[in-house]
Amino acid sequence: MKAFSSYIFIAGLFASLTACNKQLNTAPSNAVAEEIVLKTVGNLTALSEGTWRSMMDDFYANIYGNPGFKTIALVSEAMGDDVALITTKYSYAPNYRFTQIVDKTQSRNNAIWNQLYKIINNNNIIIANIDRVTGDATDKKVLKGQALALRAHTYLTIASFFQFSYLKDSLAKTAPIYTTPTTDTTRGNPKATLKDIYLLIISDLQEAKGLLEGHQRTAKYKINKDVVNGLLARAYLNTGRWLAAADAANEALKNYPLMSPADYSKGFNDINNSEWIWGHPEIPSQSDGSYSFHFLDVSSSSSYYYSFMADPFFGELFENGDIRKSLFSWDNNPGREGYLQYKKFRFRDDQTGDLVLMRSAEAYLIKAEGYARENKITEGVAALNTLRTARGASLFNPVGATSAQLIDAILVERRKELWGEGFALADIIRNQLPVIRKPYVDAGGNDRLVTITTPDGVLKQVPAKYHTALKFADGTPFVANSPNYIFAIPQAEEQNNPNLYN
Amino acid sequence: MLQKHGLLALILLVSSGIFAQTKQLRGVVLAAENKQPLDGVTIIESKSGRPATTNSEGRFELQLTHEKSLLTISYVGRETLEVEVKADQTDITILLPYSTASLDEVVAVAYTTVKRSGYPGAVTTISSDKVNNRLTPNITNALQGLAPGIQTTSANGQPGNSSTIRIRGVGSINASSAPLFVVDGAPYEGDINALDPADIAAINILKDATAANLYGSRAANGVIIITTKQGKKGNDASINATINHGWSSRAVKDYDKLGTDQYYELYWEALRNKALSNGQTATQAAATASSSLVSGLGINPYGPDYAEPVGRDGKIVTGAKPLWNDDWEEGMLQDARYTQGQLSISGGGEKSTYYISGGYTNNEGAYLASGFKRYNFRSNLSLQAKSWLKVGLNLSGASTSQDYPTSSDSKQTNVVLFGRTIPSFYPIYQRNADGTYKLDINGQKQFDYGAYRPNAALARYNLIGSLPLNKSRYTNENVSTRAFLEAAITRALKVKTSFNLDYTNTNTLYYTNPLVGEDAAIGGTVSKTSTRFLAYTWNNIATYETDIEQGHHINLLAGHEYYYLSSSGLSGSRQNFALPDLYEPVAASQLMDFSGSSDNYTKLSFFGQGQYNYLGKYFFTASIRRDGSSRFSPDSRWGTFWSTGASWRISEEAFLKQAPWLSALTIKTSYGASGNDNLSSSNGGYYAYLALYSIENNLGNGGVVPSRLPTPGLKWESNLNFNAGIDFGILKNRIYGTFNYYRRISKDLLYAKPLAGSTGFSSVSANIGELRNTGVELELNGIPVSTRDWKWTVGINIGHNKNKITSLPQKEIVSGTKKLMVGTSVYDFFLREWAGVDPATGNPLWYRTTTDGKKETTTTYAQGTQYYAGTALPDVTGGITSSLNYKQLELSFILAYSIGGKVLDADYISLLSGAVSPGRNWSTELLTRWTPDNTNTNVPRLTTDDLSWTSTSTRFLYDATYARLKQISLGYNLPATLLNRIGFKSAKVYGLAENLLTFYGHQGMDPEQSVDGTTYYQYPQIKTISVGLQIGL
Repeated sequence: MKAFSSYIFIAGLFASLTACNKQLNTAPSNAVAEEIVLKTVGNLTALSEGTWRSMMDDFYANIYGNPGFKTIALVSEAMGDDVALITTKYSYAPNYRFTQIVDKTQSRNNAIWNQLYKIINNNNIIIANIDRVTGDATDKKVLKGQALALRAHTYLTIASFFQFSYLKDSLAKTAPIYTTPTTDTTRGNPKATLKDIYLLIISDLQEAKGLLEGHQRTAKYKINKDVVNGLLARAYLNTGRWLAAADAANEALKNYPLMSPADYSKGFNDINNSEWIWGHPEIPSQSDGSYSFHFLDVSSSSSYYYSFMADPFFGELFENGDIRKSLFSWDNNPGREGYLQYKKFRFRDDQTGDLVLMRSAEAYLIKAEGYARENKITEGVAALNTLRTARGASLFNPVGATSAQLIDAILVERRKELWGEGFALADIIRNQLPVIRKPYVDAGGNDRLVTITTPDGVLKQVPAKYHTALKFADGTPFVANSPNYIFAIPQAEEQNNPNLYN
Repeated sequence: MLQKHGLLALILLVSSGIFAQTKQLRGVVLAAENKQPLDGVTIIESKSGRPATTNSEGRFELQLTHEKSLLTISYVGRETLEVEVKADQTDITILLPYSTASLDEVVAVAYTTVKRSGYPGAVTTISSDKVNNRLTPNITNALQGLAPGIQTTSANGQPGNSSTIRIRGVGSINASSAPLFVVDGAPYEGDINALDPADIAAINILKDATAANLYGSRAANGVIIITTKQGKKGNDASINATINHGWSSRAVKDYDKLGTDQYYELYWEALRNKALSNGQTATQAAATASSSLVSGLGINPYGPDYAEPVGRDGKIVTGAKPLWNDDWEEGMLQDARYTQGQLSISGGGEKSTYYISGGYTNNEGAYLASGFKRYNFRSNLSLQAKSWLKVGLNLSGASTSQDYPTSSDSKQTNVVLFGRTIPSFYPIYQRNADGTYKLDINGQKQFDYGAYRPNAALARYNLIGSLPLNKSRYTNENVSTRAFLEAAITRALKVKTSFNLDYTNTNTLYYTNPLVGEDAAIGGTVSKTSTRFLAYTWNNIATYETDIEQGHHINLLAGHEYYYLSSSGLSGSRQNFALPDLYEPVAASQLMDFSGSSDNYTKLSFFGQGQYNYLGKYFFTASIRRDGSSRFSPDSRWGTFWSTGASWRISEEAFLKQAPWLSALTIKTSYGASGNDNLSSSNGGYYAYLALYSIENNLGNGGVVPSRLPTPGLKWESNLNFNAGIDFGILKNRIYGTFNYYRRISKDLLYAKPLAGSTGFSSVSANIGELRNTGVELELNGIPVSTRDWKWTVGINIGHNKNKITSLPQKEIVSGTKKLMVGTSVYDFFLREWAGVDPATGNPLWYRTTTDGKKETTTTYAQGTQYYAGTALPDVTGGITSSLNYKQLELSFILAYSIGGKVLDADYISLLSGAVSPGRNWSTELLTRWTPDNTNTNVPRLTTDDLSWTSTSTRFLYDATYARLKQISLGYNLPATLLNRIGFKSAKVYGLAENLLTFYGHQGMDPEQSVDGTTYYQYPQIKTISVGLQIGL
């Protein structure tokens, strides 16, 4: 009996051991192996979609202060002339005070850097494998064009913020270039010059333009030829190729008529707006990017931070009759009285807001600036005035105007039209300007008072709130081409890329 | 069988009081070595629990309840004997030999048990009396201070949370450094909270290769073996009940903060200074400050009579008094109770034993809406089914529920941070300007959500009002079984198969209400998750144990083990409730998210061990184990681990046997290699070899993004562990202890090797780097006093560990506030160095090293250089335990201490931001700020500009040294004569306190923080004081 049961025991043991051995192969349920992704054009398209999602709708480094790609726009705006940030609010005060982006140890630098290069690597994977995967030839062509354009857009972002103006020194070493996918043996590439980066950007965009010829996109977040032209216009403008910039901008804006004044006051949250060339739709279940509205939306009661207030001097740039002027009002809420609200951005009722990336208004301004800098005053004025007309602003009088005057007017118009969309710091760097922030005080140096009506209906005089950071943190005045404007390459990159400075 | 015993137990319970006294027994207890009488020996009749004590002649008398009976005789420093009393026996002489104290006990080690004396392994045993009756539901919190070489830190003291345990230092950088828990012979994967500490019979901590390495792949960071209680054969049912009722509060007081007057005056000063730096004249600046003060803070607690409560001189104007002073900190606390009850019945027949218990614990937290509740049962049965076949089943279950409001992180909803943050001049309930309450139509006070408060004062939040309406609850159902079948094939050869299963179902519900508070604007939110977690271990072991002539003893073991883990979860969230008082997702109208995933993890192992001793003097052990893990690729998933050990019981040698002062002396050493495959999920988790793309869907379209690079060659991290030690007992074992030296080398570290971010990946997994922990441990126990009435025991344990990186893939790796380099520890701070306040300007200064190597100061934080600033790891940790008995009274305590190491207190920084974040509470330290009259200070001048002085720097590093009175208890055992009358075996009333006293240096900060020395606004430790009653039947 004893012996018999022991035999059964031993037999059972061996039978089960063989079964167990097979169990050592396991697979995840929330990820797929690389070989599957690189099989068909459909699967590779999933990489494109995933890239887009992680670019627009993930909190970078899982920090609420970094709501996707809009983070960079918020940093850029907080560091400009026209956002009088409420510094007691979450996340952007260190940018506003110019202490964060210059510091390579700060986590936001790392978050932005890592995410931008993830986007680049993802597109490199698509570009490297598109010719090998199975699938429809047209689909492959479009996917490749979109990947090239998105890669170019990412490098353009890097070139705009991580180095001074191309026109200051095009040979300045800026950031590494990668055009092939990272493998487990990749150890990092050296910093490339602005010139090399822009060469890549423009060649990528040119190639993309050809590949996307005739492609009808199904949603505005997908890149088509118009988006490519808009990106080309930006790249040419940054590099001083003025006529090319104007031409590309002119191509980009064709299918996107400027919005009506009524649409301007609807909160900049609708991708179906006629003049949006490129943007990202938001839905309640995918709304990390909408979190940027908590900073920009200064009037909805559901907005958490409402910290991107307008500077009073910025409000004074607008004249009556301009639709944009009607969006200003002095905040009358307890605790925030006297801040100037510019109600450009507003949440939709479901706490989402579509994210704008490119509008025909910007293309008009690039077109105007391109012509103006090429001394084609008439064409430049025409482009500028098209926009001004649409907004109900007074027109620029070309009679006797110099190109310098026109350029100044265009740069002011860019601030007025593109406020909150991420161009503030980029334009300061590009045009080699100092940040300009002044105290909003009377001749005696006392705060200027404005009248508000409190929620209880009482008229009240309160001091107007204006900039609180009027100088750099070390007390020195704002100057042009200050290193404080330039995004620092993160310490982690310095530490872990042995080739960075080669 | 069970029923019969249960019935028997019940009958006994009812009838034990009315048994007649059947006979009188007289006896004498003598010392075995010299036949001298022993005074104060305890004699207990096992069945009835009746006690007696010997007098100075060693004599005792005892009324026995049974003709045939069993006596337990115990005396400090001597063996505890069980002596049978025969039916016709009326007097007895007992000879009591010296015990070799703890040196002779049987301890559980990997897959088997061994006698401690002569065993070459390093094992620390924690006896049940140290952990059975503790005012914490979580056993990990009860281990602190009880064993040398164990660093135990409870960073978050929320009821139901666990402590982090490190055995002999931090053994890995990216893989887990946590020890393996083994419960009743098998790795435990259930919720540690499901274990009732009252059910624990002993805890053995395996620290070296010989003791632990048979667990091979899982032994790298040490093993904690928990053995639960079993009944005793041939004993009538013994019933024990324990009831505790207590009160909990914070163990240490929070940081000191400014009062309203001080706050307003200092904020005025900051506004004035800012206006001055804006170019205003002194008069203008004072006027600006006085006029903008109230609007800056959004409230005037001095009432409308004092529109400018601070005058131009910077002082509160005469007559102005705050109309209210609402303590938010106090408001966030609750009247917390601690209730615990446990009932156990144990015993055994000739062929079976049983231990059945049930318990209830309700541990309310010090903060609102936090607490932990548990219902648990356990049934441990064993049965000698046939003469050659033994079966056993341990079955335990627990239902736990943890109310878990946010209690770490800088979120507004953090219950700890919330009350600390809001100053007392903001009202908790809505008030009119004159200070009277604004009542609603029913005449009730209304919570003030403070939309007018500045951001820093958490505008629109009032957790005191909203927390009771919200929910954040984890509920767990745990079932754990340990079943075995053991066949004795011959006298020497035994085969055992055991199946061990841990099952946990976890539900979380997180709900914010649609009416008031942070999510009222979006109609409230709800998210719910459900996770099924199942792990089982099946092992088959054969042992062969034999004695060969002339004193050779051999014990061989061979086995196989299969481990399977499966986890599967669902989660979903919705928002916008139309109706109040509905808490489930079904009632919310807007779907936000729905997701779910599952994972499997398996391991297959084969192992063998040989133990040999000669004459009980010379001991050798060797073991080998081979593990395959599903985490690695088929080509590299198998790892081989081994150990070897030897010891020499010198005291058994003839030349020492006669030494009168020496009772025991053993020297021992061991060496071996164990493994670690426990990668964190961010480093590949269960699938650490594949190139993976994780799912990232976009607007209804399928999406993926790369998540990790391929690492086909990734293999086990291994841990080489050397130990050398001495066990000793002197003066008839009145003093005994253990001293160990160890050196642990962790090599082929499973490392997230950092990559340049520009590659698109932040790291790639690799076996790179080497880490060394060296240390010494001393455990010393003594019995200074032992007389008839007095007994005093003292234990002290000391552990010193030094952690050092000996190899890295690159020169240096900066990660957060730490930098890794060869020669440093894993938790060495790397921070900008604070250089004080410039006496001339009041500006903060940091050090920087210029390119030519000169160290100078700078006022710009970003230009400061980062330097090494000491380690977070303590130099010495340990504990002191003591108990003192006088007749029926007993007093005992456990004191845990940790010496050395540093904590970077970011919690405190939030109270120093001052006028940069107006509306947040300010620390009293700001009173010492720089002014032209007070230039020698560590606090810069006040201004609303951000001087960056609160940025992370060495200024906020504080010594982490502390000691904590983990437990103190004072009890009284009711006299036996009284108990006999009511039929009780024993009864004890006592007072008990956990964390009663804390000795530490940095006011406000609970000294127990994360092992890496950082704070994160964590729930501080709780102090609990209770009264209790223990009854034995």
